[in-house]
Amino acid sequence: MKLNEKILTHFLSCTSPVDKEGYLYKKKERNGTYHRRWFVLKANLLFYQERPADRHLMGVIVLEGCTVQMLESDGYFPFSLEFGAGFKSYRFAAGDAQTQGRWMKALFLASHCYLSCLLRDLERQYEEAKQQQESNVPSSSFKSLCPPTNSLLVPTLGPSAAVREGRSFSATAALPPRSLPTKVTGKKSPKKWPRRNAYVTPLNGPAPLYGEWPLVGSDPLVEFSKLHAYYGKEVQNAREEWLRSRQTEENHSEKDLIDLG
Amino acid sequence: MRFNEKELVCLSRQPSEMAAELGMRGPKKGDVVKRRLVKLVVNFLFYFRTDEEEPVGALLLEQCRVEREDTQIFSVAFLDDAERKYLFECDSEEQCKEWIDSIIKASYEFMRRNLIFYRTEIHRLTGKDPLEQYGISEETRFQVNSGSQLMARDTSSL
Repeated sequence: MKLNEKILTHFLSCTSPVDKEGYLYKKKERNGTYHRRWFVLKANLLFYQERPADRHLMGVIVLEGCTVQMLESDGYFPFSLEFGAGFKSYRFAAGDAQTQGRWMKALFLASHCYLSCLLRDLERQYEEAKQQQESNVPSSSFKSLCPPTNSLLVPTLGPSAAVREGRSFSATAALPPRSLPTKVTGKKSPKKWPRRNAYVTPLNGPAPLYGEWPLVGSDPLVEFSKLHAYYGKEVQNAREEWLRSRQTEENHSEKDLIDLG
Repeated sequence: MRFNEKELVCLSRQPSEMAAELGMRGPKKGDVVKRRLVKLVVNFLFYFRTDEEEPVGALLLEQCRVEREDTQIFSVAFLDDAERKYLFECDSEEQCKEWIDSIIKASYEFMRRNLIFYRTEIHRLTGKDPLEQYGISEETRFQVNSGSQLMARDTSSL
């Protein structure tokens, strides 16, 4: 498969954010020796070269579908990228524990999947925060609005512990399903592609993480007003119910009227 | 330049909502239109010969400009070179719009900017930094002035 290298080298040298850079030792697959390399982590790509100033880019590792694993110390502070069964692991070593920890965390957070996961979560929190603000309901009714901590998004480091799920492109298994109505963006499914080879991945797979979501930065007022109207009805009803129950019952124990669990 | 080809090929086989047979033309003079199965997975655009398992090639969708060329044709240009574009011929105007939209939204940098927007807004509305619960609020990756600052930021000023 051909990878357009010019696009990659351009991306490396352009002004988009560098997420982490520094020296690490990379283990050569064949003879098992460590070589010091300069690594640049940008988005979901890990570039490496001999020295920072080098024009020649040695290689790049696309960080999708991998876990980061701490390895047993052998004098250095090693860790690896694991892509699962059938794939070789990429081994690195840092000079000290702090560098090791920081790189491991940075690599854990690097994938497009992770960002997509996080983005959906924040989007949900944003909608909820807006609803709460718009309807001006006392905060006690929204006790259960606190977003659940999704452990998949929390990087935890431990000796020889896999930091994230195994080779899975669907990192959102633990997140609640999206409740955003599709009618708002009104997309139609793409043209079906006739299956010509039984081994090629079919179109009708599970919905991807990076599906539709409100166009931010592109007339957001139009989209959010629609969303607000949709969620607003629900909140309106809840509020009315709350007001009614408040008037009639005075010694009832406080209870959440809206189950957001 | 070395790259993890095997893993990338595996990535290309993941399910995707945006996969269709399109007419594709390369950026060089003399490149002709060829039918390819074009598939968008994360921030890569893979293209296959319609009866093959392994992609012919992969394009990283960062720092690119996606434009509508005609009712059913869109282009993707890289390297700040507007002249060298990849062209894609769709079957309908709607399909064309959908592809343009999807490619733009698939870019990591686009998603990062939106994340920062949500982070800032949630903080403004609730007084809380939503990344704190995940222990990632100090990560360079998610900073408001992202990238160049490697120093930890004081999030109260978000």
